[in-house]
Order: sequence, then structure tokens, then C-alpha cells
Amino acid sequence: MAKKVRVLMAKPGLDGHETGAKLVSRALRDAGMEVIYTGPRQTPEMIVQAAVQEDVDIIGLSILSGAHKEFASRVIGLMEEKGIADTPVVMGGIIPQEDIPVLKGMGVKAVFGPGTNTEDIVDFLQKKLDLPASR
Amino acid sequence: MVRKIKSKPVKKFTKPARKTSTKSFRPEFAEAYKAWEKGPLRERLAPGEIKPRFRCYSGGLKEETKQEFRTGGGEIVVKRLYTPLDLEGTDPVQDIGFPGQFPFTRGRDPLGYRAFRWPLSFYSGYGSSESANERYRALYAAGSNHIILALDLPTQNGYDSDHPMARGEVGKVGVALCTIPDMERVFNGLPLDRIHTGTVGNCIGPWALAMFHTLGERFELDPAKMRVWIQNDPIKEYTGRGTYIFPPRVAVDLASDVVEYIRKYLPGWEPQYNCTTTMRWGGCTPSQEIGFGVANLVAYIEAAQKKGIPPEDFVPWINLHMTADNDFFEEVAKFRAVRRLWARVARERFNTDDPQVLALRLTIFTGGHRLTAQEPLNNIVRTTMHVLASILGGVESISTPAHDEALALPTFESTRLSQITKSILHDESLVGQTVDPMGGSYFVESLTNQLEERGRQVYEQVEKQGGALAALEKGFYLREMAEGMYRYQKEVESGQRSIIAVNKYVLEKEVPIKLFEGDAEAERRQIERLNKVRRERDQSRAQKSLAEIRRIAESKATGRNGNIVPAMIEAVNAHATVGEIFGLLREIFGEYKPPTII
Repeated sequence: MAKKVRVLMAKPGLDGHETGAKLVSRALRDAGMEVIYTGPRQTPEMIVQAAVQEDVDIIGLSILSGAHKEFASRVIGLMEEKGIADTPVVMGGIIPQEDIPVLKGMGVKAVFGPGTNTEDIVDFLQKKLDLPASR
Repeated sequence: MVRKIKSKPVKKFTKPARKTSTKSFRPEFAEAYKAWEKGPLRERLAPGEIKPRFRCYSGGLKEETKQEFRTGGGEIVVKRLYTPLDLEGTDPVQDIGFPGQFPFTRGRDPLGYRAFRWPLSFYSGYGSSESANERYRALYAAGSNHIILALDLPTQNGYDSDHPMARGEVGKVGVALCTIPDMERVFNGLPLDRIHTGTVGNCIGPWALAMFHTLGERFELDPAKMRVWIQNDPIKEYTGRGTYIFPPRVAVDLASDVVEYIRKYLPGWEPQYNCTTTMRWGGCTPSQEIGFGVANLVAYIEAAQKKGIPPEDFVPWINLHMTADNDFFEEVAKFRAVRRLWARVARERFNTDDPQVLALRLTIFTGGHRLTAQEPLNNIVRTTMHVLASILGGVESISTPAHDEALALPTFESTRLSQITKSILHDESLVGQTVDPMGGSYFVESLTNQLEERGRQVYEQVEKQGGALAALEKGFYLREMAEGMYRYQKEVESGQRSIIAVNKYVLEKEVPIKLFEGDAEAERRQIERLNKVRRERDQSRAQKSLAEIRRIAESKATGRNGNIVPAMIEAVNAHATVGEIFGLLREIFGEYKPPTII
């Protein structure tokens, strides 16, 4: 049997708006992935540690507070330190269009804004990323 | 933490036998209705070509567009037509009644908006205290005299700007306040005696009170004469916004300290806005918004009773803070239904006929959750409808998010537009010239009845679990919200629910709009200033004030009564920082860990 794709869904920082993170978590779970949801108030250290411990295939970051650039760069920096730089990172939340290229430049694979169809997210993760289930 | 006090015995309330009016649905009407069904309706539904008399030149279809029409909340099936027959059993006096009179379906004020002026209020603040001050001055100059201070997340969570958890978030969703000099800078040059101000601070309620109190003193005003409101509703943080600090019962006890202090010493202040807005945004249905709102109010009133503040000394100064969603008529009915349900529940529960307790004030923050990042100018239309529903629902106060808020913090122009929307509706569309213009609408009255009934069922469901705090601790609220949100999302994705420019009439390429740009240097400057305050203050006074907070908190933690507010005011005056104050309270009360409910 194929190994289930493991996703870490994380909310970095103090922003407590969890609706989006929970919705996407549920949609990914319904699509057959295994989702580990951290809940809010995570530091980049906590997120990367969880990613290492849980041996996830993908990391999702949900940020609505405007601190997306700061958190993306810190998480990705720590991932390099911990040797998991090849785990893809995707983001969601309130992220202005002009910041998307900046985030992608840091290595973020995709940014999903408000109103994104959850099926499109599932589709992207399954088809565009080199994940165990699609290998 | 909360001292157990025997609650007042609740008088068993029996519903009075109701006389149903028979005047509004005479037998002739039922016959006329049947004739309509057999006549025009049957003709319209007849198979074959659409009859010429029903034809229109564009848009007219042969069939109805849906098998079943439902309200936006999805709970109620909407009939083709409403008539007096739908109000059989609705008593024009006991159920609909008159404005300013039990059960307040038609509003609290017999004069409605005929004796009312919409204040230009706004919820704003970002970056450093000086950039917030600049925005406030500009808005004040443009006629606003209500300033709702938006705080950044570290402040709302009781962290100083240099706390590790604060990195990257200082000044991001609101202004950073660590010590009283920050507050003084925010209001510098603004006539505090002529401004109605306040903040959303919930888990930091006692500190927020202390900050405004001290601010007033430093501006040489009598704090008792200021007009300040503190949202002071921690329950909403566990269910919606997520800026909780302590376990729920500790938080509610601290919120009651604010209520007690304000009711005793600060007559012009509003001690609490009980908020269902974020619960609705998180997935509640309209009847859950009603039922949860009523249950939460009951929980807070009982907490205040434990401090010796009776309902008649509390309810007249609080608001139920709801939202306005997209289904126009359902929302109008919701506001009417929640007033009626509150009046009936409060009469049973608190065994009183005092209209001060039974007439609920409603404050609306319109549906930010329905604003889309796609084609943000469309949001102006959505917000207009939310505001109109609120006005026709007879609410006391309306604030609106700006149309570009789904993308970034609002600009000056979008903030200004969102402020004046209600004035355009009120002054130019003249919708407030008669009290409760929707009253007597067969449809709206029928929806009001159904929402009240469903709201009551939800309220009873919560009460059966032991009330709002127990329902919260058991994860009931979060589960219900997660379900509702998932259902909604699936309906959008399947196209069952249309959202223009998101799943219908989607533009290939979007027109960019002008967005607000933040102040990148805010965090560094804020930390420098914080360190300066820490260095230059009277250390022994600051430490002494913190020791006093510790003493009271420890006493509370062992179940003794006490009020933290006076010690908080002294600590703010002594330039203790928000992080120092809440750091030690975290040590004593512990921190809340949310259950994971997806």
C-alpha cells in the first residue's frame, strides 16, 4: 500500500484566525492525506521541529497577520539548518499579490489566497509536488 | 478561580396562555389565496411555452432556478410567497409589539432612528504609535469622533514588543502598546474629552482599562467623565480570534473585575461588548449566533452577579456585538429575533420585568468574512447591504471593515469610505424615517419567528451542557463552528452557493487596486522606545506595583475575591510593561491550551 502523504499544517506567530488552516486541513484529510495540525502560536523553531519529528512530506503555513515574509524566511532558514530544506513549503492566508514573488524567491512553492478552492490545493499538492504518493 | 456563590433561585417561568389574534387572517383571505394558486400561479407553472402575460424581454425563465430556496444560513427553506397565513399564531401585540416595549422585536427606542445620528466610528491603528496618531488625526479632521484602537497581536497577547513570540508581528495588525508613553503618543494632540474611544482588548481587559484610565489622568481629564469602551469579552477569543491567554474561567473572572470597577467608578464607560461576530465568521449559523450570544450574555451576567453587580446595573451598559451576513432578510430578522429571545430568556432567567435588562443593545461589525480578495471593489456593494440589513434590523451601532481588508490593512480612503457608508444610507436613502420599517412584512416576521425558535433551541442546548463556559471547555462551540465552515466551503466549491468573482463571473485577469503599505521600521523603533522606558522609569515603584498585582492574582488563584484593576492602574502609571504584567499573571494563572478541532 502506498504511504500516505503527511502534511504539517502550521500557524506561525500570534495570529489566531484558524478557520482557513482548519478548512484546508480537513480537505487534505478528506483527500486521503495525513494532516498534523499544530494549532496557533507556533514559533518557527516549533514548526521545524514538528516537521522533523513527524517526518512530513509537506509544510503548510497559514498567516493572516501580515507577518508572512518574516515567518517564511525564518522557517525556511531553520529547515536548511535541520537538513529538511527539500520539504516543500506552501502558504495561505492574507498575502498581498506583490509579496508572492518575494515568498517564491525564498523557496515557497505556492501561495493560496482567500477564496481558493480546496480542491485546487489538493490538486496542486498531488500533481505539482514530488510527493511520495505521486512518485 | 471564581468563588462559588449560591445563585439566586430561578423562578420557574411558565409561558402565559396566549390569545391568538384572528383579525389578520380572515377566512376570506385563505380563499383568496387558494384562488391565486389556482389562477396566476397555476397558469405560470403550466407546461409548454411561457404565457405572453408573464414574458419579459430578458432574464425571464420558464422554470424556477432552484428546486429549493434556502436562507443564507441554510437552515430555513424560503417559500415562494409569504402571506398573513404564515403569521397565524403570531400575536401583533405579544410577539411583534411596539418599539421600546417588551419583547422589543421592533427595537429598543420608541423613536428609532428619527432621534439618532450615526457617529463616524472606525477601528484602526497600525505600526508605530506615531503613524497610528497620524491616521487618527486625519480621520478626526475628517469628522470622526469615535476611535476604536486596533492593537497589534503581541499587545493583545500580553507580550512586550521584544518578546521572542512578538518577532515580526510588532505593529502589524494594529498599534503596539507596551507602556503608557506609547498610549500618550497615540492620542497626542487629539481632544480626548470630545472623543469616544476604546479597544478590542479582551484577555487584557483590566490592563486596557488601566491604560485608558492613566491616559485620561495624564491628559488632565477626570477618567470618570471620559467615554471609553472596552470589549472585554474573552469568550470570543477562545472561539474566534484566538488571542486568549488564561484558562476561560480565569479570563471571565478578570473580565468581571473590569465590569465591577467600571460600574462602580467610571459611569461614562462601557464595560463589555459580548461578541458573536467572530463566532459567526468562524462558521456559526444565524440561529447559533443568536443562541450562543444569549448563552454568553447569561454567563457574563452571572459572573458579574458573583461580584455583586446585579443585571440591572450591568445590562444597560453592555452590547451584544453581532455581525451582518449576506442574506439580507435573514439578517434583518436575526436582529429582531435576538432582541425578542433575549427579552424572553432574561425575563425567565433573571426574574425581572425591568426593561433596562430586557431590552438588548446591538452593535454590528458587518460581515468581513464575506468580503473577497477577488475584485475587492465588489465588497463595497456587499458592505452596503450588510449595513442596510443592520439599519433595518434596528441596531444601535454599526462599524464596517474596509473593502480592501481581505488583501491588506485598509488605506485612509477605504477606511473613510467604510465609515460613511451608513451615513449615505441613512441621510440619502432615508431608510430610517419610520421605526422598524420591516415590521409586519409577512416574510420578515415569519423569519423572525423561526430564528427566535431555533435560537432558543441552540441556547437550551448550551444550557444543558452547563452554560457557555462549559460548552466552550467541552469544545462544543468549536466543533459546531468547524462543521458550519466546512459545509459552507463545500457549498461554494460545488457552486451551490454563488460568490461573485470567486465562483461566478470570475475575471481572467484582475485589476490591481492601491493597497496600504506598512512601516517596516516600526518594530525596531518600538523596541528602542520600550528599552528606554524600562531604563528610565522609577524602578522601585514599578517593582512595587508588580508585586501588588502578584499579591492580588495569587489571592484570586486560591479562590478569594478581589479586583485586579486598581493594582493594574498603578502598574501602568509606574511604567510597568504589558509583558511584565501578563508574564507574571501567566505564571500564576497558567496558559490556555486549545483543543484541536478540525
